[in-house]
Amino acid sequence: MKKFFSLILVLFLVAGLILAGCGQQKQAQEQPAQQNQDTKQETQTVKIGAILPLSGSAAATGVKLKYAIETAQEIINGEHPEINMELAKSAGLPNLNGAKVEFIFADHQANPEVAKSEAERLIQNEKVVGLIGCYHSSATKPASQVAERFQIPFVAGSSSSAALTERGLKWFTRIAPHDGMETVLFFDYLKFLNEKYSAGIKKVAVVYIDNEYGVHAFEMVKKTIENYKADGFELVADIKYPANVSNVDTEVQKVKAAKPDAIFHASYIGDMTQFVKKYKELNVVPKVVLSYCGGYQDPQFVVNLGKDADYFSGPNATTSALFSKMPDLEKINEIYKAKSGVDIDGPTLEDFASAMVIAEAINKAGTTEPAKVLEALKTQEFAAPYFVSGKIKFGDDGQNIHSASVMTQIQNGIYEAVWPTDYQTKEPIPAFPDWSKR
Amino acid sequence: MMKKMKFHPLLVIFFVILILPFINDNINFHHIMIMFLIYAGLGEAWNIITGFAGQTSFGHAAFFGIGAYTSTVLFYRMHISPWAGMILGILLATLVAAVVSYPCFKLKGHYFAIATLAIAEIIKQIFISWEYVEGATGISIPVMDEGILNMQFHTSKIPYFLIAFAIFSIAVLTAHYIEQNKMGFYLKAIREGGDAAEAIGIDTVKYKLFAMMISAALSAAFGTLYAQYILYIDPFMVFTMDVSMKIVLLTVLGGLGSIYGPIIGAAILIPLSEYTRIFLGGTGKGVDLIIFGALIVAVACFEPEGILGIFKKGQRKKRGVDYARATT
Repeated sequence: MKKFFSLILVLFLVAGLILAGCGQQKQAQEQPAQQNQDTKQETQTVKIGAILPLSGSAAATGVKLKYAIETAQEIINGEHPEINMELAKSAGLPNLNGAKVEFIFADHQANPEVAKSEAERLIQNEKVVGLIGCYHSSATKPASQVAERFQIPFVAGSSSSAALTERGLKWFTRIAPHDGMETVLFFDYLKFLNEKYSAGIKKVAVVYIDNEYGVHAFEMVKKTIENYKADGFELVADIKYPANVSNVDTEVQKVKAAKPDAIFHASYIGDMTQFVKKYKELNVVPKVVLSYCGGYQDPQFVVNLGKDADYFSGPNATTSALFSKMPDLEKINEIYKAKSGVDIDGPTLEDFASAMVIAEAINKAGTTEPAKVLEALKTQEFAAPYFVSGKIKFGDDGQNIHSASVMTQIQNGIYEAVWPTDYQTKEPIPAFPDWSKR
Repeated sequence: MMKKMKFHPLLVIFFVILILPFINDNINFHHIMIMFLIYAGLGEAWNIITGFAGQTSFGHAAFFGIGAYTSTVLFYRMHISPWAGMILGILLATLVAAVVSYPCFKLKGHYFAIATLAIAEIIKQIFISWEYVEGATGISIPVMDEGILNMQFHTSKIPYFLIAFAIFSIAVLTAHYIEQNKMGFYLKAIREGGDAAEAIGIDTVKYKLFAMMISAALSAAFGTLYAQYILYIDPFMVFTMDVSMKIVLLTVLGGLGSIYGPIIGAAILIPLSEYTRIFLGGTGKGVDLIIFGALIVAVACFEPEGILGIFKKGQRKKRGVDYARATT
């Protein structure tokens, strides 16, 4: 009997080995061919790994990011002279004899452990020359550590935790502004409202979810407000709520009691929707509500709340209202929309940018050699006509020094760009009307 | 005696597991082997309290997380070697297991299971709000020089595999020892009927407590290894229900109450989840999770005793045929 068990067990383990062995054999067969045709291969396909949350709690977003990266692939590999970008004009990477770019997708399931193993697999088995992803900051952390270990460049698109660029990693760069930069943007915007519209905003409350994203955002507010004390800003309440909150009565009552002029929200779509409904019920009327990159930026916010979503604000890498002002972005959106059926949104555009930037860095380097690609990433400036900033340049810590965000406010169900004034599609409204008068 | 030693299934299993990564040097395969050892070992630990003693725990992620956090916080804040952290983590998890399970053992059946679930959730919430351990932000373990003292290896996964194998062996041998000795029989007596066990003079609370403490200690050791291996932890990763459920699933799939159950379960579930994700995960359609779920539903519906149950049935049938032949 025992012998029988052990036999079965051995069979299972060996089956696993065979499975892995098959993959390896295939790889081994490919390897000599790869080595022999090293130069030739460069002219054919450049592989880049994209690790995204394609299943799990953020699957809907992950799939949109995948479409955005596929859009980038299509622009790079095809001929799109109508888009004013270097890699759009000709097919493939011109400095690598027109080599095509192939993005290999991997699913991290919103799990840091899986992100780590997928990064290793993409580098070792798929032989990718660069990595992009992972949307969740907690997944980007271990995945970028793997890239550091293997000395492969990693370009993060929309992961916004400031901690990512504070680790001193050499091979890591990030496009999106981190929550520290967003906080500075918030206060500058409030100052602008006070100066131009005499909005009289002084008291600030922070409402944040109890996870890395929320807690870090609050820490940034605590730190940044010190520099804005002279402008009269003071923190009157900080309200933390659990990640799986089902009722926000107490939290909203606390907000109401503090009577803030501005509320900063670090919330996802589900909880943000609950808060807005409760603000309406208890008639909470601040002057401004600003949201960190999260629930507000999801177009579902307007779908869920309709008229009640009006007057809320937040920074966004883009908004559909801007398309008419930015022709290149409009053309990119046409390709994206054909795949996804919806307009491109902020985080999605940031991941699109990460795909374009890594391909452009390889093209600028003229080779897939990691050290040269990294040098191009760290020293060159990249044209980004799809962002209001127009360009991307990485600092020593790997952070994009040009904030790619524009302040938006929902007016009549549309995300209007309200600041900076150069890109304004509508004037900001620095006051909430009484909820009963909407 | 020689013959018995030669065919002892555990030795065969250990030998096969040990040589596999040296036959196949694919880094991804090494990763799967490490995860297999961690989860099979956690299954063994869980089996002691649930499989042997019949006390269903849905909160083993708590002990796993305590092990991960103790060594990580000590390493991150005070640069104490993860090995010392592992020992402290084991002690802490054992202490927590004793303190929280003692009152819970008064509860029976489903109520005990619910209590373990709640306790794990409480511990998770404490870690989320605790600033000293970086709360919800999690800890990125500083990358140090590789070496056994720092329990960090950057050029090869084999050292991680060997450490995992050592802890796994300890877990299996502990479970095997318990099963073969007095304590195992006592625990099984408790599982079959607590009142009856007490009536024949078994101190049920004491033995249940021992089983829980041993189980927690083993889980904590794997927690330390896991943290040092991934080099990043946050409360949502190590205290999550997903970890507790994975342990439960693979043990139930393999066969509850047998030391072979978790090994069989992990040998199927871990490669299955990895390979389905590798081959199908990039499609973004969740096909990997559908296959994974379907397998679990199939086992639950058709063979609640797990894979081991299928073979046991086969054996019984064969024996039945032999018996019938012998008597006719």
